[in-house]
Amino acid sequence: MLADLPILSLITFSPLLGILVLLLLPKHRSRWLKVTAITATIIPLLLSLWLYADYDGTKGGKSYEEKATWIETSLNKEAVGEVTSYTVNFQYHMGVDGLSMPLLLLTTIVGVMAALASVHVKKRWKSFYIWFLLLEIGMIGVFLARDVFLFFVFFELTLIPMFFLIGIWGFMNREKAANKFLLYNGIGSAIMLIAFVVLVATAGFSVEQLSDKQQINLSYSGSYEVISSNLTDPGSYVNMPADQNQGQDNPLYLSERMRWVIFLLLLIAFGIKLPVFPFHTWMLQVHAEAPPSVVMIHSGVLLKMGAYGLLRFGIFMFPGVAQDWAVALAILGVINILYGAVLALVQNEFKLVLAYSSISHMGIVLLGIASFNEVGLNGALIQMISHGFISALLFLVVGSLYERTGSTELKDLGGLACSMPFMSGILLAAGMASLGLPGLSGFIGEFLSLLGLFGSMKVITGIAVLGVILTAVYVLRSILGITFGAMPERFGAVRDVRLIEAVPMITLLAFIVLIGVYPAVLTEPMKHGFDVLLQQLTEKAGR
Amino acid sequence: MDTTFSQWAWLIPLFPFAAFLMLLAFGRGQRMLGVTLGAASSFAGLVLSILVLIEHMTDGTAYYQYAFKWLHFGSVTLNAGFEVTNLTAIMLVVVTSVSFLVNVYSAGYMKDDERISVFFSYVALFSFSMLGLVLADNMLTLYIFWELVGVCSFLLVGFWYSKPEAKAAAKKAFIVTRIGDAGLLLGILLLYWYMPDHALDFVRIGNVFEGNTGVIAAGVTTWIAVLIFIGAVGKSGQFPLHVWLPDAMEGPTPISALIHAATMVAAGVYLVARTFDIFQASQTAMDIVAYVGGFTAIFAATIGVAQNDIKRILAYSTVSQLGYMMMALGLNSLTGGIFHLFTHAFFKALLFLGAGSVIHAVHTQNIHEMGGLGSKMRITTWTFAIGALALSGIPPFSGFWSKDMILHTALQEKPFLFVIGVAAAFFTAFYMSRLFFLVFMGKPKGDHAHESPSSMTIPLVVLAVLAVVAGFIQTPWNDTLGTWLTDGAEKAHGGGGLVMVISAAVGLLGLYLGWLVFVKGTIARDAVSSRAPWLVRLLERKYYMDELYEMLLVRPLRGLGLLLNLIDDYVVDGIVRAVGGTAVLFGRGGTRLQSGQIQTYGLVTLLGIVILIAAIVGRRFW
Amino acid sequence: MLSSYLTMAAILFCIGLYGALVKRNAVIILLSIELMLNAVNLNLVAFSKYGVVPSLTGQMFTLFSIAVAAAEAAVGIAILIALFRARGTVNADEYDEMRR
Repeated sequence: MLADLPILSLITFSPLLGILVLLLLPKHRSRWLKVTAITATIIPLLLSLWLYADYDGTKGGKSYEEKATWIETSLNKEAVGEVTSYTVNFQYHMGVDGLSMPLLLLTTIVGVMAALASVHVKKRWKSFYIWFLLLEIGMIGVFLARDVFLFFVFFELTLIPMFFLIGIWGFMNREKAANKFLLYNGIGSAIMLIAFVVLVATAGFSVEQLSDKQQINLSYSGSYEVISSNLTDPGSYVNMPADQNQGQDNPLYLSERMRWVIFLLLLIAFGIKLPVFPFHTWMLQVHAEAPPSVVMIHSGVLLKMGAYGLLRFGIFMFPGVAQDWAVALAILGVINILYGAVLALVQNEFKLVLAYSSISHMGIVLLGIASFNEVGLNGALIQMISHGFISALLFLVVGSLYERTGSTELKDLGGLACSMPFMSGILLAAGMASLGLPGLSGFIGEFLSLLGLFGSMKVITGIAVLGVILTAVYVLRSILGITFGAMPERFGAVRDVRLIEAVPMITLLAFIVLIGVYPAVLTEPMKHGFDVLLQQLTEKAGR
Repeated sequence: MDTTFSQWAWLIPLFPFAAFLMLLAFGRGQRMLGVTLGAASSFAGLVLSILVLIEHMTDGTAYYQYAFKWLHFGSVTLNAGFEVTNLTAIMLVVVTSVSFLVNVYSAGYMKDDERISVFFSYVALFSFSMLGLVLADNMLTLYIFWELVGVCSFLLVGFWYSKPEAKAAAKKAFIVTRIGDAGLLLGILLLYWYMPDHALDFVRIGNVFEGNTGVIAAGVTTWIAVLIFIGAVGKSGQFPLHVWLPDAMEGPTPISALIHAATMVAAGVYLVARTFDIFQASQTAMDIVAYVGGFTAIFAATIGVAQNDIKRILAYSTVSQLGYMMMALGLNSLTGGIFHLFTHAFFKALLFLGAGSVIHAVHTQNIHEMGGLGSKMRITTWTFAIGALALSGIPPFSGFWSKDMILHTALQEKPFLFVIGVAAAFFTAFYMSRLFFLVFMGKPKGDHAHESPSSMTIPLVVLAVLAVVAGFIQTPWNDTLGTWLTDGAEKAHGGGGLVMVISAAVGLLGLYLGWLVFVKGTIARDAVSSRAPWLVRLLERKYYMDELYEMLLVRPLRGLGLLLNLIDDYVVDGIVRAVGGTAVLFGRGGTRLQSGQIQTYGLVTLLGIVILIAAIVGRRFW
Repeated sequence: MLSSYLTMAAILFCIGLYGALVKRNAVIILLSIELMLNAVNLNLVAFSKYGVVPSLTGQMFTLFSIAVAAAEAAVGIAILIALFRARGTVNADEYDEMRR
């Protein structure tokens, strides 16, 4: 049933339906617009839940692939001998595997929650939701694309809606923040494009021998499969028959140094998105200036695109180079963790505390990646998902909080547990999840990442564990500062959450608890996500 | 193994958990629901625990373990499960009985609090976590519950969240124990990578380390043991991470009795006992445990002498007694540590609940503002007296037997620690007599004091009975507990008449001195403070530990944070701005060139062409 | 023979170029451009007669170019007059609207 449907494309482009309806609606009917937009985000959620239910981890996701020729340009060279065609082709190639399945779910879930949280938006609902849905298309596409060019297009597609969402609906310094966001990420994308172009022009080369005749098709493609198999298996380089393959003398062979450079480019490109110290300053402003519902998306999903890209293209394509870089990655991770934590400790603006905490938590992802073993990689992925839910929840609360108090400065807040017990409870629970309390999702990611890293780098792990303490310090400082203590007079009349706010809060918390108590919901589909990579690594070690 | 009740032991934590969930869902505005559910669930747990204990008493080899795959991918499997050994069985009874009594007591104590159902839900969650911790069959499961009890403790310490002191205390409790937890976490990581098959369950840990077979190198063993011990130090308030425990007294008093006297703080001792094989494999670790424990015992006891808050005195006494337990474990006496944990749970819970009853009556915690309560609160006074005697180590109360066993071991193993233990026992007796005489004797300071309701006094009486009789399960003539707990590996330290005399004498001496000072007045109360005010000050300020932490950790960390904040703003972001600025600058320069004079452009073009031609032509002749 | 034509054309071109780049008066600039065009025309004619492969194409091209130059001069002068009316000057330096 499911296999007959182009389910991946349906998921990706179903928000378009919402956009179409939104375009037809008058722009002052805010209620209709909101209902339409929320419905439009629910469709991909339901579809992806269906996909998840049907997904069989053991097949490695091969059952859901959609391929169509997208761009095919003939290179103007005369056919010589048996060569019948010589082309550059980029395919519309979507696929899902253990790595993208959890992220897809994260995206669609956080999408719905953020749409619900957008009820606080005060102006220009129509264009807000159109940009919002466009952003969702981009995010889903990023996780499903299987062609570097397609990936790049989707990746860029997320930038423009974000730019407008920050720039129009943000807080005081929104335009500056939007500019910085676009510039920084634009540079990241440019670097990524360079790396991709080099990859397509070298490892993207493949030779296809048609079976019936002695005909040969030569092509440069952006296919992820072609590139990664060419890169990781030099024996079958560029798919040439064994006798013609000259290994390192092959002009298309990427030398060690070239691989090193491309890996570095990819590390920078995705490191900006992740963000890795010292490329993090843009996201502070985004966290502080963007509307909270957009930050839910940004912190919940967009940052994960960086980690996903690093895993998918940096690590999976260059396992060898990446492993040589493992110590550097781990050190970067530790710097992220401690730097973010120490800075979160002294911020006076709650949103900035959360921004630095995101830096700290993404450091844990880096640690997991740097471990290069099953435990750590799974930990990194779980940490990504978990941080997505947690930060979405935190910013959901921030949005509701700001609605009521008009401020997120720590010094203005206090004692809110008195007038808003429910929201304070949720905030405290989210904080506990963030500091890695067992039973909530944060712990699983953190524990597995550290466990994995400890297997390879003991001292670095020891230092990273200090982050566990510091996290507790800054989380408690900020959250207790908001909820505990004596309540100022002016908050006496503040109401607790409404139903429409409570529903996404409880849903997100439910997912956090679910992952925390029964992490197998995530590890089951991932089962074969890392097998290939680890196999390659062990082969490399054996050689 | 065929067991009747042990295989159902997993139900014990689930009773309070169910209560917690129900309170969470329906607790709002239902005042009686909390009381009923709390008491009922803990009673159910108590009954089942007693059945389990009886089963283990009758059959010393009864054992049940069950584990399932909690997290599994590739070749990695992390299990979760529960295990019922003799040690678990006795801990189960301690936890459920104190928990049940505290639930009953709280029904009276918290009667007027508007968030009573929240309170009971927290207590239920705590009971669940604590029982889970006790039952856990491997390090990871234990760690999970270990953290959960920490968070429950945090929630309950900060229960009256609008008080700034409660907020600060809750934060401190969480963060300081978190430091210890980080150590424990590292210990688990180390254990995972060094254990054969990455096993974390206690059975295999025991097998690997038992008898020091050398499967794991000695250095690593020491590291593992020390890291686990750091976790225990944090949770059990051992020096230097004891600072949170006295502050935690900001929580409601029943909580102090349940969490910060009887159960959670003993979890550290329980952890060391649970992983005792690892410690036994490393003499260094054992010594560390013993000396840290001994030092904490005397250190906290001396502070207790100079405190004025009734709960803080008891808190320091708890720290000191936990030090005794650790010392016993460090001296290779599992029985001594667990025995003292067992008796201490009852008499210290009794003391805290008694203190709560007093606070309930006089609405102050300062012992100098109390006095003469003896005639007005008879039950409280008598039960408190029993608790105080037990704590001071006066025969035949339970504290005497357990303390005697520890001192006896110390005399045999490390006489130096014996001296420390005796000195600490003296201070203990002294501050308890000071506390007792100031609160219950002398002139009444107010006239509104009255006896507490029966829901509060009945638990006091029950605990008082337990505080008297609990000691008889292990006396120098009767090593039931030791044999049962360690499968006969540890024999009771026979005779030991001398130690008994010394320890009883020291206790009595302390009490007598207190009597002289605070009742008879033979020795002036300011005898010390007039001669050595610095000493009193030092003790009052708790050896300036808080200030030391403030100076050595908190301030530098904040300073570092502020410094890095500046760096982040001006250096890291500054570089970004500089890069942007450079681009803008180039742009400005570019606009200058763009003069709009077509003739200038033409001239430049011409020059360019000339240069190009010169270059192309020139290349020919080069 | 050819070289003298070419020299002549080169001199003409350089005079034109000099005038186009240096003179301020827009009319003179236009005239100088005409000069350069004619220098090129002279070259074309010379090559069509004395070139390696003499052919009529060069002369045809010259005629074509003269026609275009005439049209261009007409349009140029027209623009110039319009500009002069609008700005009251023929000084090329002051024609910098595009920059503002």
